Amino acid sequence: MVKKSKIEKVSTATPSVLIGGAGGFWGDRTYAPVDMLTHNDLDYITMDYLAEVTMSIMSKSYSSNPKLGWATDLERWLKKGGISLLREKGVRLVTNAGGVNPVSCAQMVLDVACSIGWTNCQVAVVTGDNVLSILHSSAKEGEQFQHMFDKSKEPLLHHDEIIAANAYLGAGPIGRSIAKGADIVITGRVADASLIVGCMLHASGWAQNAENESLPICGPIHSWSEKEEQESLDLLAGWSVAGHLIECGAQVCGGNFTNLPANVDISDISYPIAKISFDGSSIIMKSKGGGIVNRASVIEQLLYEIDDPSNYITPDVIVDISMISIEELGDNQVKVSSVSGRIPPERLKISSCYHDAYFITSQLLVPGPEPLAKAQQTDKILRKRVAHLKDIIIETEFFGAGASLPLGLRKLLDKTTNSNPREILVRWGVSSKNRQSLNVFASEIAPLVLTGPAGVSGYSARSKPRKQLAFFPTSIGRKHVEEQVEITFIHTLRSEIEERYPWLKRNVTTRIDNVMMNSDSRTKLAVARVIRRRLHMPRIWKAVN
Amino acid sequence: MKTKRVYLRELAHARSGDKGDLVNIALIAHDEEAFEILKQGITTEILKSWFEGWTEGPFEIYSIESIHSLNCIIHNVLQGGGTTSRRLDAQGKALGQALLQAWIEV
Repeated sequence: MVKKSKIEKVSTATPSVLIGGAGGFWGDRTYAPVDMLTHNDLDYITMDYLAEVTMSIMSKSYSSNPKLGWATDLERWLKKGGISLLREKGVRLVTNAGGVNPVSCAQMVLDVACSIGWTNCQVAVVTGDNVLSILHSSAKEGEQFQHMFDKSKEPLLHHDEIIAANAYLGAGPIGRSIAKGADIVITGRVADASLIVGCMLHASGWAQNAENESLPICGPIHSWSEKEEQESLDLLAGWSVAGHLIECGAQVCGGNFTNLPANVDISDISYPIAKISFDGSSIIMKSKGGGIVNRASVIEQLLYEIDDPSNYITPDVIVDISMISIEELGDNQVKVSSVSGRIPPERLKISSCYHDAYFITSQLLVPGPEPLAKAQQTDKILRKRVAHLKDIIIETEFFGAGASLPLGLRKLLDKTTNSNPREILVRWGVSSKNRQSLNVFASEIAPLVLTGPAGVSGYSARSKPRKQLAFFPTSIGRKHVEEQVEITFIHTLRSEIEERYPWLKRNVTTRIDNVMMNSDSRTKLAVARVIRRRLHMPRIWKAVN
Repeated sequence: MKTKRVYLRELAHARSGDKGDLVNIALIAHDEEAFEILKQGITTEILKSWFEGWTEGPFEIYSIESIHSLNCIIHNVLQGGGTTSRRLDAQGKALGQALLQAWIEV
């Protein structure tokens, strides 16, 4: 019953809401969320697992195994005590760990909850971001799917093998999931900051308003509040900025920070917490541990991965930070305010990818004397030996000699430094439409040790070509996506299946989710049929077959 | 008039990130005076000369007065984007620090 009192506390009296950002990408430190839950009394904990490249990686793993395609790190920390902490402390978890397969991810979460006896844990899954199956139908209605930044590129549908296409959903379905009673919300592609805005939609009571009035679960969410439109938009903008500041985890707490003071230890770096107010301002602070939150660390993260600061587009609101105020309060607390919002665009961004080519990398160590000259000679020899491969593109990088710098900058810096490096690490990144050509290229690396310049070393096994997916940002009219967005509670889904197919219960004693994993093909078929109808996700069909 | 060489790291701190095939590099001036120098010195022309060999642009620079910051946008610089770049720093994460090593004449 801890939970109930929390709902009342948050939605009526509390002047601000505590939201943790305990992960910045799939692969971030898995101790962080457990640590954050242990040391703080949060209202919500959010985990952003999806960088642009992550959806491509997940699509690759999903196509090789239909049970995958979500951020498996979530399972690791939930099992390491995370799930018990969420239950004991009554903290709601909101995460986009679902990736390209949110239903499988949510199934796992309910399994983990059941394993500690939390059988009534309410796990909501938000679907509808996957637009792969509606690309062609919406193209017939005039959608062109041009490249978002470069109209001269071939449009998306001209590419043969489109692996994934996901629209960025906003905060609406997240807020509504919590208003409907979710303890844990699993989504696929939502805008990163929307994870946090979704929590605020619930905490502020807006989502409940919308629920009571049966408004659509997606936008326009600024109309969910009883406030004036501009005030609502400014609030959404302020919450989005708070979300943007904590969605990259420790990057706002001294990680990847140019101005890290020498006396600040980041070996046990802490992750950020935003104390967000209902006036749109927020205070960024940190959990217990190392690191630092100051004006400079907040500004670095504020400007991370944005373009026009007066026109930062999210599905919820267009954010203008050009007049932002950032005020250091001391004790690792920074206040952020004066952000304004405008009505969000009619189109949603799509992150899509298609199979482009294959790719390998190889590297060798070239020692001195004159390592750069020797490395260049090694590269020349290699290129001569593979000159018959006409369908490969080779990028050679000489690390130690400025490879991380663009050419113009390298020339500039070479004016001041003429010290010869002690050794060079030469790296080849090679792509080709033809996998076999890359195998031939790879076979020419190790021989350089015996047949190249003196001292060349550091070879490893022949690298194997891997699929390269090209990222293609584009957009789609909201209506195409929003009409297919659904919130499903995994429990409800299971009991619906049981009701419709009572013989499942008779024949199989294990729970439905185990049925999904272990049963015969006839049962799987039945389950798949229901799920497909319920979630409009044709991939599930494929998954269980 | 004789000009003076000022390194960007003396004027600002920086962070870079990617979006598709573009990289944004935020240059955050240490103080108001440094910001004025930065605004004078960082132009799309100078970005173009530094990124020679990697991209022809376009380049954009946004100024955010209240936090003494410039946001530099460099387009078409990641060989198609983070998943198709053949470089080790496929997402341009190192480019913020790269810029801090450069200098401008003031």
